[in-house]
Amino acid sequence: MSAELFSVFYQFADVFAFLILSAAGLAIVFGMMGVINMAHGEFIMCGAYVTVGLVKLGVPLAIAQALAAVTAGLIGVAVEYLIVRRLYKRPLDSLLATWGLSLIVTQSMLLIVGSSITGIGTPEGSFAIGGYTFSTYRLVLFACAVAVLIGLYVTFMKTRFGVMARATMQNAAMAKALGARTGRIYAISFGIGAGLAGLCGALYAPTMTLIPTMGATFVVESFVTVVVGGANVLLGTAPAAVFLAMIRMALNASYGQIIGQIGMLFAVILIIRVLPEGLSSVLVRRGR
Amino acid sequence: MFKLLDGPQTLGRGRTFWSCFLAVLAAALIYPAFADSYDVGNFSYFLIWVFMALGLCLMWGYGGMLSFGQTFFFGISGYAYGVLAINMGGGSTTIAALVLSVIIAMIAAGILGYFMIWGGISGIFFGIVTLSATLVLAFFLGQTAGPEWHIGTARLNGFNGMKGMDPLTVGDFYIEGSALYYVMVALIVVVYIALRMLVNSRIGNVIVATRENPQRAEMLGYDVRKYQLFTFIIGSGLAGLSGALYTSWGQFITPSSIGLPAAAMPIVWVAFSGRSDLTATLVGSFLLLFGFQTITVYSQQAALVLMGTLLLATVMLAPQGFVLGVGKLVVDRWTGRRRRGANPALAESSRLQSDEA
Amino acid sequence: MKSGHLLKAAFLGFVLGTAAFGAALAAEPPLKVGLLEDVSGDLAFMGMPKLHGSQLAVEEINKSGGILGRQIELIHLDPQGDNARYQEFARRLLSRDKVDVLIGGITSASREAVRPIIDRTTTPYFYTNQYEGGVCDASMISMGAVPEQQFSTLIPWMVEKFGKKVYVIAADYNFGQISAEWNRKIMKDLGGEVVGEEFIPLGVSQFAQTIQNIQKAKPDWLLTINVGAAQDSFFEQAAAAKLNLPMGSSIKIMLGFEHKRFKPPALNNMHATANWFEEIDTPEANDFKKRWRAKFPDELYINDMGYNAYNALYMYKALVEKAKSTKLEDMRKVIATGDACIDAPEGKVCIDPKSQHTSHRMRLISVGPQHEVTVEKDYGTIKPYWLGDIGCDLTKKNPKDQYTPSHLPNKS
Repeated sequence: MSAELFSVFYQFADVFAFLILSAAGLAIVFGMMGVINMAHGEFIMCGAYVTVGLVKLGVPLAIAQALAAVTAGLIGVAVEYLIVRRLYKRPLDSLLATWGLSLIVTQSMLLIVGSSITGIGTPEGSFAIGGYTFSTYRLVLFACAVAVLIGLYVTFMKTRFGVMARATMQNAAMAKALGARTGRIYAISFGIGAGLAGLCGALYAPTMTLIPTMGATFVVESFVTVVVGGANVLLGTAPAAVFLAMIRMALNASYGQIIGQIGMLFAVILIIRVLPEGLSSVLVRRGR
Repeated sequence: MFKLLDGPQTLGRGRTFWSCFLAVLAAALIYPAFADSYDVGNFSYFLIWVFMALGLCLMWGYGGMLSFGQTFFFGISGYAYGVLAINMGGGSTTIAALVLSVIIAMIAAGILGYFMIWGGISGIFFGIVTLSATLVLAFFLGQTAGPEWHIGTARLNGFNGMKGMDPLTVGDFYIEGSALYYVMVALIVVVYIALRMLVNSRIGNVIVATRENPQRAEMLGYDVRKYQLFTFIIGSGLAGLSGALYTSWGQFITPSSIGLPAAAMPIVWVAFSGRSDLTATLVGSFLLLFGFQTITVYSQQAALVLMGTLLLATVMLAPQGFVLGVGKLVVDRWTGRRRRGANPALAESSRLQSDEA
Repeated sequence: MKSGHLLKAAFLGFVLGTAAFGAALAAEPPLKVGLLEDVSGDLAFMGMPKLHGSQLAVEEINKSGGILGRQIELIHLDPQGDNARYQEFARRLLSRDKVDVLIGGITSASREAVRPIIDRTTTPYFYTNQYEGGVCDASMISMGAVPEQQFSTLIPWMVEKFGKKVYVIAADYNFGQISAEWNRKIMKDLGGEVVGEEFIPLGVSQFAQTIQNIQKAKPDWLLTINVGAAQDSFFEQAAAAKLNLPMGSSIKIMLGFEHKRFKPPALNNMHATANWFEEIDTPEANDFKKRWRAKFPDELYINDMGYNAYNALYMYKALVEKAKSTKLEDMRKVIATGDACIDAPEGKVCIDPKSQHTSHRMRLISVGPQHEVTVEKDYGTIKPYWLGDIGCDLTKKNPKDQYTPSHLPNKS
């Protein structure tokens, strides 16, 4: 029986990690600036490709993953500076611009790097409980997801930057008047968002097929999580991921993946119907 | 009634504009006499998609509702046409199938719209709910490959798509080639004129007022939800018209016409063209469809890069939309030269003036 | 008119300085071959070898004098994996470019998108992929392997070697569902048991739950007919969780070259039946690989689709030369004689008159821990018999339908 229980936890942790890691970057960008970043999947792909490239050069996996996240973050800052910055007053246009960017990046990768690159293999390690065997790496992913949440909590709640960022999010004009350098805060936030997307790609790179369009497999789930969560990363995205992971896991286990997917989307429609601004609207209000 | 053709909500008015309109229409009508049959067919194919763009322009540009659900209604109507055309036995009944499938799409829009609008969903969440609905439909239809999934004698046939329905037919005459082209041109003209009259009417003013400020519109005594639902049904019904025509054109429809990335395409067309005006959407969508196809034919693998660049450049350089931006530039130059800075006929400032002016 | 043509031809030949040869070439307009293959989008990694195979065949045929003395002009368009584009471009190739033959399509959906269009013309269409089988359509000639060639060999072998309990992971669309149907039918005949069937939506990339469902069901082996790059992630994740079950498939290795794309041992203990895979070691195959590698040195793997695309042009050449005509109806007269054969790198292959599908030399291969490929069994030539057995006979009737074990033609 304990094997069954552990198995349920493991499945939950797996879906949760996937949702958190793929959505965190998107949630920050959306929550801070109201920008829907359609190139989110391409930052994920970037993280994965950089990781694989570095590992093939002989860099240890963990370091490669960290470097990949940093690379994606830096590219994010550049993209913010060149494109997104000019579109803050037009959130829907930023959607279009980032979508254009995503088309350019995927196809250019295809032309430059080729249609597929060889994977690097998941780090060894598995364990058995009852009749089941589990991959240790999946638990590492879960740990990373939790670490990302803690890291975000510390960054946004305990640092000076966090205070500024939250002030900017509440009222950008007021924050600016009080001396916050909002432009810089936006750039850093976008960079963090892109870096987290890169981290997601870096962490999942060993477990997946590597093709230029790989980011697309993350996109629907991450959008759904962000939307259910609402604008607040900490009070929205995390509970949304818990909630969606439970629905998805339960349906996957008893009715198969297709019902899991359809059920999750239905849940989204219903939640938005009840809470038009996402889960965080309730939680934030309660918190006050 | 015809004075509604010109009004504050649409760009282009007066003799110059309508002369241009008639000239373009005349050119379109004699075009088949000069072009080869492939080009005529290809043009009518582009026109099929324009309805969907016009519908989105109405909802998004005029009504302020960004719907990712155009392909949802496109799909419902496209499949409905297939099911009806197969079950009713083809022939002239395909015309009835076309009408019925558009009505089915409008009913579906009524239900989904009621659910969303009375639920107070707005802004980007409106887009996400419609996108979710679209993806659910695409997933669902994708797994209907088995023979148990059929409606009457029509098999849904999963991801591979439904086929075997007749194209639009009158008696024994298939409407295709130049006949289809003329039908499409006629439909476009009717829909375009009707939409112009709609947005310039009293209803249209309320729709735009709701976009600008829902609370204020409500305070003025309008039940904005009814107007929004009406807009949503009309806009989605136009997507349905595209869907039924598409199925009839290719005698084929698949779930991939519904899901991503197909669902994003109408938004791209409309945003590229300039969402705040029907004429710009009409012209821009056609140009973009034509442009994307041409790029894909001639540039092979670089096509997607070029399309992405085009989008990015439009957003960065012509924020109102490419066609609208260029159109305004041309008109401002034109009128500026003729009237020396007199109030330009197409300037933005005239757009919020009331109808009585 | 004719003499003007000759005069022009002679002049052209003179200018080129290759008088005799040039005149012969220019006297006949080139044969136009329309090709639709995805070289961008999700399926690009499979579409690329298909384009290469066609280009190689065209180059070779043109060098050796063309078809009936006419050179081939290859017109390739990239539908980007979009069914609507397949329809647009099929129409474009047929009515604008007026191609003599249409070739291509990767997914079954793209084939079904093209068929209604091609059925209303008199142009032949070659579909060059292995697929779920069952299309009975006189306009279409199928060059790839079908279930009776792949599953009727693979499944009995797996049952005999590993046991009677199978778990199926299949992509949730027509190909996966029909293949699963085939598996159920064959397993029933063999007295085996399908202990689980899981259909996965396209684009899903996470498989922790699936892996546990498999462990719960305790099968002897797995049938993996998951499709697409995202779903291929299953192998890596199953290996990481130490699932360690023997696997069988009709599409892995030879199509998506997973053993080249994943790090060993993710594909260890995979089995597949195929008419072509790059590791075939015969003089004809080696010669073919050498020519391919000379033209495309960077090819990651010469896959089955690319190989079939190459063969399609030679088959077309053989049909046209035997029929002395490029008309579909004349070519079908040749097919009806049962004598439409070519010597392909795998061995001799022929088109079956009843179904217009191709016979293939089938081999069962297995993958080792270092992803080395070994041939376990050579089945010799297997004909595509199923459609003929259930009553599809294109020499008599053209139903243009697709049949499956649960959707058979009406006996009338």
